[in-house]
Amino acid sequence: MTSVPSKLYSDDVSLVVVLLDTNPFFWTASSSLSFSQFLSHVLAFVNSILLLNQLNQVVVIASGYNTCDYIYDSSSDASQLGSEDGRMPSLYSNLLQKLEEFMIKDEKLGKEQSQRAIKSSLLSGALSMALCYIQRVFRSGPLHPQPRILCLQGSPDGPEQYVAVMNSIFSAQRSMVPIDSCYVGAHNSAFLQQASYITAGVYVKPQHLDGLFQYLTTVFATDLHSRSFIQLPRPAGVDFRASCFCHKTTIDMGYICSVCLSIFCNHHKKCSTCGSVFGQAQSDTSSTSDLKRKAPET
Amino acid sequence: MPQVRIIAKNFMDMVASLPAMKLDRLYQNAFICEAILRSLPPLAKKYVVQILFFDGPVSGKLLEQWVLADGVTKHRVAIDRLIQLRIFIEVSDKKRESSYKLNQTFQANLRKHLTNGGVLPRETMAAVVKLPNLEELDTYALEQWEVGTSSMDRDAPRLTEGGFQFLLMDTNAQLWYIIREYITNSEISGFLQLGIYSLSHIERGTDPADLISFLLELSFHVTGEAYNINTLTEIQRNTIKDLAELGLVKLQQGRKESWFIPTKLATNLSVSLTDSSSRKQGYVVVETNFRLYAYSSSKLHCEILRLFSKIEYQLPNLIVGAITKESLYTAFENGITSDQIISFLQQNAHPRVAERLPSVPENVTDQIRLWEADLNRVEITPSHFYDEFPSRDTFEAACDFAREWNGLLWEDSKKMRVVVKAEIHMNMREFLRGQK
Repeated sequence: MTSVPSKLYSDDVSLVVVLLDTNPFFWTASSSLSFSQFLSHVLAFVNSILLLNQLNQVVVIASGYNTCDYIYDSSSDASQLGSEDGRMPSLYSNLLQKLEEFMIKDEKLGKEQSQRAIKSSLLSGALSMALCYIQRVFRSGPLHPQPRILCLQGSPDGPEQYVAVMNSIFSAQRSMVPIDSCYVGAHNSAFLQQASYITAGVYVKPQHLDGLFQYLTTVFATDLHSRSFIQLPRPAGVDFRASCFCHKTTIDMGYICSVCLSIFCNHHKKCSTCGSVFGQAQSDTSSTSDLKRKAPET
Repeated sequence: MPQVRIIAKNFMDMVASLPAMKLDRLYQNAFICEAILRSLPPLAKKYVVQILFFDGPVSGKLLEQWVLADGVTKHRVAIDRLIQLRIFIEVSDKKRESSYKLNQTFQANLRKHLTNGGVLPRETMAAVVKLPNLEELDTYALEQWEVGTSSMDRDAPRLTEGGFQFLLMDTNAQLWYIIREYITNSEISGFLQLGIYSLSHIERGTDPADLISFLLELSFHVTGEAYNINTLTEIQRNTIKDLAELGLVKLQQGRKESWFIPTKLATNLSVSLTDSSSRKQGYVVVETNFRLYAYSSSKLHCEILRLFSKIEYQLPNLIVGAITKESLYTAFENGITSDQIISFLQQNAHPRVAERLPSVPENVTDQIRLWEADLNRVEITPSHFYDEFPSRDTFEAACDFAREWNGLLWEDSKKMRVVVKAEIHMNMREFLRGQK
């Protein structure tokens, strides 16, 4: 799980897919770091990745609270020159313009949809897009950079995305793509901790947000080849709690369907995912092992 | 003092060997800083980026703590490289611990690059005429290049060991080899004769630092775009004529202005500086029955294979040959070693067989080595033969004398005959005369 198979391409060329959290609910509430400050750190980081190797590639995906989209791809950017006035480098002008368009679209979608109390950003969608992009790169031929995903997340986890996020994580694990995560929010993110743990990536929650750039270059600019001989932060503890499928709440203990492994917070007669019929819950539910061993009656 | 020497003789060693003053001047050009940073080993790159925004010196101990125990050699190599290239400046403090500081110009340039983003070295020309498309440009570059390389070995009466090694390198390595020669020669004679190339546009005594900076800058241009020649300096304009001959750029002339279009060879220049990036697809398949299939239509490839194998037939995209004892003997006679042939076959293995281990069948590699060993079975030593000694005493004295001089090759005491090395023949003659 830890090692990436050797391929034909040189070993320190990387493709970094950056997932940028643009959730306005989080950024307006955030006091320690404003979005523009955050963005300037990230842009410098993107520049440093591109600087390290001519063949390095960076893709930025914005994840809002209603939608997500590609906002920058260094491989298609090369031939385009700076903006009309020729002053601003292409990275900034292209990325910022796309980002603005994205934010407007995101807001519009939010207004169209009925009032939902969702405050988290669409991590699952962004992860899936990143993995799709990486799959396309894998299939492009034997010579391609080593891909990895970097999640820059601030907003809290959305338990309703649990299944989708876990599926993306396992798919990343299968294709040996590490998910690095840098969490800038207040509390630790269980999703990202699990993602990095399972895919052998690095999870960091920076202590001093003004030095975000230094965290990014020190930890996340390390290519996969160098990771074998460089000290990187180890996980201090991973929150493995799952969300139930019925109410999307994070639970410590629950019921699991033995056929499809769906998780429920209380007893059901029938599995809502696969339709298996459960037996009657035993009256003495004091022991924890009983909670997990509910055999279905077919 | 550097503790670990870097053995690889590449272009960057040449840059590193420039005098400090010239090196510092090179770093004033932001593109060179970028290209040189990219050429560093991965760990060295990481150090530079990590301490880019530190103003004071950083102790070597602190840097070493970033690597795991088994990466210590890599750490030393990285630090030595950085010091060689004067990117790290060693500062020793009171406690006699070495600390390092980044070269100020280098640091300032890279900081600017990170905060402002990359820019292009010069503006492209507005669409003047129809520019060649990328494919045409690639074919042009490759043709120009292969015409040069394939005739290079034809001109020489016999291909030297160095010549074969040159052919074995990949295109980028060959390119740097020629450019290295070009730059060294520019300092002395200003005229370089390499095969059919006579790169003579360069003026005598041109500063190598100027050439290096121009070449590195060239690699940051966009392939297939036109750039006005008037934006170049006098020296650069002369150089570019030579580079056009090598296929690095294509020169075109309009009614009023002329412009140059960089090809892939030029823009890949700084990519090839790193040792790790050998990103070329192989084309050779060797089978256990010594037959060799090369999926290539290139004449150059065919010629290279002909050096050590018997080419049987050539199809539009396939060269079929066999490795035979005779073909290998001709190769060995020309000073090519079995190791060179085997490493060539391994490096250019077709992707289908490259996945396998070993990519070249073991019985073939073993046989190539054995055939070479066969040739070395007989050793020839010039010698002299003596017989008809007057007495057994003289014969034995002569044998002892030869033994003392470490020149006795063979003796037959029954028939009193002896063979000694040619170099002691004179001493032997003197000795035998004295015996009489």
